[in-house]
Amino acid sequence: MRAQALDLYGLRKSFIDGEVLICFNGPFSHSIIEEIGIAVKRYLETETTSRSAVSDVFAVFVELAQNVQAYTGRLKDRKDEAGLDAGTLAIGRQGNAYAVSAGNMMDQAHVGALALRLEELRAMDKAELKALYKERLRGPRLPAGGAGLGLIDVARRATRPLSWSFREIDDRYRFFSLSVII
Amino acid sequence: MVNDLIIAGSISSPTVRLDASRGVMELTGESYPQNAFDFFAPIIEWARQFLREGSTPLCLELRLSYLNTSSTKCMIDLLDLLENAHKSGRSARVAWFCDKENDRAREAAEEFREDVTLPFEIVLEGPGQ
Repeated sequence: MRAQALDLYGLRKSFIDGEVLICFNGPFSHSIIEEIGIAVKRYLETETTSRSAVSDVFAVFVELAQNVQAYTGRLKDRKDEAGLDAGTLAIGRQGNAYAVSAGNMMDQAHVGALALRLEELRAMDKAELKALYKERLRGPRLPAGGAGLGLIDVARRATRPLSWSFREIDDRYRFFSLSVII
Repeated sequence: MVNDLIIAGSISSPTVRLDASRGVMELTGESYPQNAFDFFAPIIEWARQFLREGSTPLCLELRLSYLNTSSTKCMIDLLDLLENAHKSGRSARVAWFCDKENDRAREAAEEFREDVTLPFEIVLEGPGQ
């Protein structure tokens, strides 16, 4: 079927140019999250002496990966599109900082609410984020199974404002991508 | 009398030892299980029963280097149980052991402590102790 072999060198070059340390693309299972998590920690512990930085990168990785897993799990019964069950995750360097990025396909019907939440979080300072986090900790559990706390925790650990995009794929889907600098 | 409960740990879930005769609940490891609410449900239920029966003091001993947000929410539920017991005169306390080199783990413990009035000790240990 495929006319050309995969351009592995091109893939490698884009990882190197983008300072990507670890990347995964595919369906997220809990065991994959555990395995990548171990790799992330081992790698960072050899690279940096800051235990706090390792903790923050690991925590952001876990929250983003579990969000991707939960959301792609909601879409996986839709057989009409290829790649709906696959998430993409990259952990890399950005100058002296680390960047944790995660992306997945998203039904465009869900985009508006998520964009609004992200805008709200981006407008908050650390004290406001902490207050919101504490308020939600005692709030009801969300129907999706999560606590609605993940993105707040991620925003609290970020050292720069969250950045994200919704790339138009077709009438129905967008590719959501979120990048967190630590 | 509540039975002891032991849950073996995994990469993403802590080892749990709930000892009814000593009145000690030990959780050791990292906590980001597939479903935190399912994981913590029997632990919270154990504490509820323990506090309902008898009058043995209860100590929650935690060595948790990381909790994801869902686990944090479950931990708040558990702490609220102990807090209510403490307020109604039952002896209940928390001892949270942290690696002294991991500021984030200590900060997480401190944030839990902000929300309760029961005795809550944060103990800094050297790694591997």
